[in-house]
Amino acid sequence: MIQEKTGCDRFETEALLLLEQGQPLDDHFSSCPDCLEARAAYDRLRGGLSSLGKEDEPAPDWQARVWEKIEKRKERRRRWSPWWIAPVGITGLAALAALFLIWIPGQTPAGLRIEIEAGTTVRRGAEAQPGDLLRLAATTGGARHSELRVYRNDTELILRCSTEPPCSRRRGKLTASVVLDGVGRYQPLLIFSEKPLPDVASDLDTDTDAALTAGADVELGPRVVVR
Amino acid sequence: MLSLVHDSQELPRAVLPDPERTALAALDRRSPEEALAILMREYGTAVYRYCRQMVGDEDLAEEIQQMTFVQAYEALPKFARRSSLRTWLFGIARHRCLDAAKMTRRRRKRFGPLEDAPDLPVPGASTEDRMAERSRTGALEKCLQKLAPHIRDAIVLRFQQGLSYPEIARLSGEKAPTLQVRVARALPLLRRCLEDKGMAP
Repeated sequence: MIQEKTGCDRFETEALLLLEQGQPLDDHFSSCPDCLEARAAYDRLRGGLSSLGKEDEPAPDWQARVWEKIEKRKERRRRWSPWWIAPVGITGLAALAALFLIWIPGQTPAGLRIEIEAGTTVRRGAEAQPGDLLRLAATTGGARHSELRVYRNDTELILRCSTEPPCSRRRGKLTASVVLDGVGRYQPLLIFSEKPLPDVASDLDTDTDAALTAGADVELGPRVVVR
Repeated sequence: MLSLVHDSQELPRAVLPDPERTALAALDRRSPEEALAILMREYGTAVYRYCRQMVGDEDLAEEIQQMTFVQAYEALPKFARRSSLRTWLFGIARHRCLDAAKMTRRRRKRFGPLEDAPDLPVPGASTEDRMAERSRTGALEKCLQKLAPHIRDAIVLRFQQGLSYPEIARLSGEKAPTLQVRVARALPLLRRCLEDKGMAP
């Protein structure tokens, strides 16, 4: 039967919310015929909603299907992560860590860089004045033998060191400094090799040739001109 | 990981019903299988009925119900115990049902609504009253399906499942007063819908 629209709609606009909020209703709602009728209709509606699907039942074997699905998912995961993944992964990570700690620092490519220090200031150009300090810093690429040299005017060896002062060696890095005490062209270089390095003979060209012939590598730094 | 409850306190076990306590004890013994078996026995039908009203399709409801328990099994070891297992379980089901309901709605928008089957009494029913009741129920289900999924959700959880507003708020992440207003506004829509079908509540 279709509910007929009547005058008072306070039950829908006010009381429905108050009931959902668990609030008491005022006296109007117990005396207004429209509201009483509406209340009865909504009570029936609530009752209908409460008993919705009361007879609905899932398939009798639904629990077995849940277990089947769980097993299938476990199996799929097992297939994608065999037993050996964890140990192999851990071993691999350990090897990588060891490589990083031991091998990588030793394999920093060889190179030579210089700084020229004049008093308290540092200049990075290749121009210097008498009395300036030439600082050398080299990485030896993990070579067993290495030394720093500085030739003046390609003929005069003014610095040659390996582990002894003025050289100092730390974690594959070789550093030294020398005072540029006269006008001229200064050529810094790094020689490194797995074999012992040949002795110094005379000038830059001859010594470099001898080193290359002995299988060493030679890294020339920027030439510095002192005026 | 599932995070379906929004307060941080663990519920005291004394306030939980017996099956929940048994299930939690199983979890303490690191036996999620035993806990799941209890949950399926206690709440399996309720979850199915909720899904059935939410998605309006028996097969889909069954699939969602089963997947709810599969997902619950996988998440049980991480259950944070901030709500009852029932609320937590309905939270999982709710997510899946809302997704399915939205998809169905989108499909209907694209391909047009399915033709409503007439709300005829079921043939062979034993009494006239029973037939009328069936017919009313069918009409009510259809009217529910016309509501937006989040409104239908509040109605079904409130009335069919009998959850309190704080419980619905906990599993939906919404505020209880918002849900109360939503339900209060939806009831007249359902009433009108039934009246349009010639079935006043």
